[in-house]
Amino acid sequence: MGVKVRALMKSPWVFHVSAGSCNNCDIEILDCLCPRFDIERFGALLVGSIRHADALLVTGAMNRKSARRVRQLYEQAAKPCLVIAIGACALGQGIFRDSYSMVQPLDEVLPPGAVTVYVPGCPPRPEAMIVGVVKALNQLVPAKQPVEAKKEQADE
Amino acid sequence: MNREQVLKQVQNTLGDRVKNLFVKNPRRVYFDVDPGDVVEITRILHKDLGARFCIASGMEMERDFEILYHFGFESEPPEGVLVSARVHLDKDKPAVDSITPGVPAAAWIEREMHELLGIEFRNHPDMRPLLLAEDWPADVCPLRRGKPWEGKVDRRI
Amino acid sequence: MNILEALLVFLVFPGFVFMVIVGMLISWVDRKVTARVQFRVGPPLLQPLYDFLKLMGKETVVPRGASRLAFFGAPLIGLAGAVFVGTMVGVAMFLGKGFGGDVIVAIYMLVLPSLAVIMGGIASKNPLASVGASREMKLIVGYELPFILALAVPVIQSGGRLQLAALLQYQAEHGSFATTLSGLVALVIAILCIQAKMAVVPFDQAEAETEVMGGALIEYSGPALAMYKLTKILMFYAVPMFVVTLLWGGFGDLSAVAIVLGVLKYLVLVVLITLIRNTNPRVRIEHAVAFFWTWVSIPALAAVVLAAVGL
Repeated sequence: MGVKVRALMKSPWVFHVSAGSCNNCDIEILDCLCPRFDIERFGALLVGSIRHADALLVTGAMNRKSARRVRQLYEQAAKPCLVIAIGACALGQGIFRDSYSMVQPLDEVLPPGAVTVYVPGCPPRPEAMIVGVVKALNQLVPAKQPVEAKKEQADE
Repeated sequence: MNREQVLKQVQNTLGDRVKNLFVKNPRRVYFDVDPGDVVEITRILHKDLGARFCIASGMEMERDFEILYHFGFESEPPEGVLVSARVHLDKDKPAVDSITPGVPAAAWIEREMHELLGIEFRNHPDMRPLLLAEDWPADVCPLRRGKPWEGKVDRRI
Repeated sequence: MNILEALLVFLVFPGFVFMVIVGMLISWVDRKVTARVQFRVGPPLLQPLYDFLKLMGKETVVPRGASRLAFFGAPLIGLAGAVFVGTMVGVAMFLGKGFGGDVIVAIYMLVLPSLAVIMGGIASKNPLASVGASREMKLIVGYELPFILALAVPVIQSGGRLQLAALLQYQAEHGSFATTLSGLVALVIAILCIQAKMAVVPFDQAEAETEVMGGALIEYSGPALAMYKLTKILMFYAVPMFVVTLLWGGFGDLSAVAIVLGVLKYLVLVVLITLIRNTNPRVRIEHAVAFFWTWVSIPALAAVVLAAVGL
């Protein structure tokens, strides 16, 4: 594992954007920063500028106005940037799918393969979001060998 | 001012322009007004009687359009009364005078009703689109019945 | 001192490498104390190092129309200023050397990191960055005067010595300046001023996250941002150490007891800055400047008068 990847896994700075959400998921994201869950112990910080961010947390169903802005934000982020879709609305627009202001869902607004992890829930619990961020970070590393070797030993 | 006094004041000041007064429960009062009187009545409610303009709701019903203007008479809790004045508008071309000159707080909600329901407000000082996206066609009113945006709006950006 | 020795001093000890190690440890102390005060756990020990390495591995996006020279030159200028001051302070404390007037040079060099933030903000061609840069300019106008007045107190008390090593020697003979009345007032003033110089809440208007979305550094990413963060880490070492040297006796005669006491003094300053940071909201820029021009400058003037009188 290179130094770059290892450092990225240890220090994911997150930027949060709400594409027309009801703010329920946004409140749960703020919960992650509070003492009960505290993602700063994983090195995660909430940053104010998209250029400083390593992970883009997107909530909300994509409506016409905000989908364009989310696409612009993704293009402005300094790569490598993980995108984590949070909540049922960001996954597939949830109950708002047939509304007049909806356009295509998040993974079609952004370039293919941009969205790294989908965290379902309405809203997802902070534990689910933390698991999602950990899975997104683990995707940077190729399949781990040591875990499988241990399993084989247990079988023997 | 308690509820009975509010009710009496409303009836006395507005006289017979108040039609179908309906006291649904001690905190909720509804009455109808003619579209021609609405500017005067809302101005009296807001300026003379001192009610706060809360919001206005527009609805498309089966036979006409309705707008309700909600005014709140705020006193020490639990004495608060919400008074709603209802106008009925023509189904084909809904139009009414804007109450914004007398109640400045109504400016944005009238913009929203114009944009989403297609109700025309005469003499509105600043009728710009408020909520919809920049490329939304101006004549499609999304909150009307029957999905009027079908086929007229591109669903991908 | 020949060229090789000078390079070693500047780059290794007490220069760049030493400053980076101590600065990263102190930055971790700051974040851990912040977390503990907020009933959280806080980051692991090597977190500042991980942050720096991660930033070095990302790409730097230059906004269209921005001046590339200023955009990339500004963080390096700030870094150079911080390294220079830290090296001068270290050389005076650990090697007992310096040159006449190096206190004044240090004060000038300490402005460079703030200047770098301003330059970077204006070079970014972003209106929010300009707001951050202008706030930093206003802040400098506010705190530079009381800072210089507070640092004039040891100069006056020692009878006009302008060399860091000479001031340390004076404190070794006569006791640290903080034991005198004017020195104590000057120490308190200096703590407030370095809170602003290091851009720490309540005086970090230039880089406000929630208000101006990153402020002056909004367009920076990758290695350029890493240089800014490194400058902030080095300032965390250099500036409190500068104050400890000038006003609180430094590391004394480098005996074991004096070194332990020196480290304790430095840690007390850093923890005090962190606690002030955690118990105060960010103030508005006009309130900050007004605060520095009244509540901080007048005691600073009083301290100078007291020092001149002999207290």
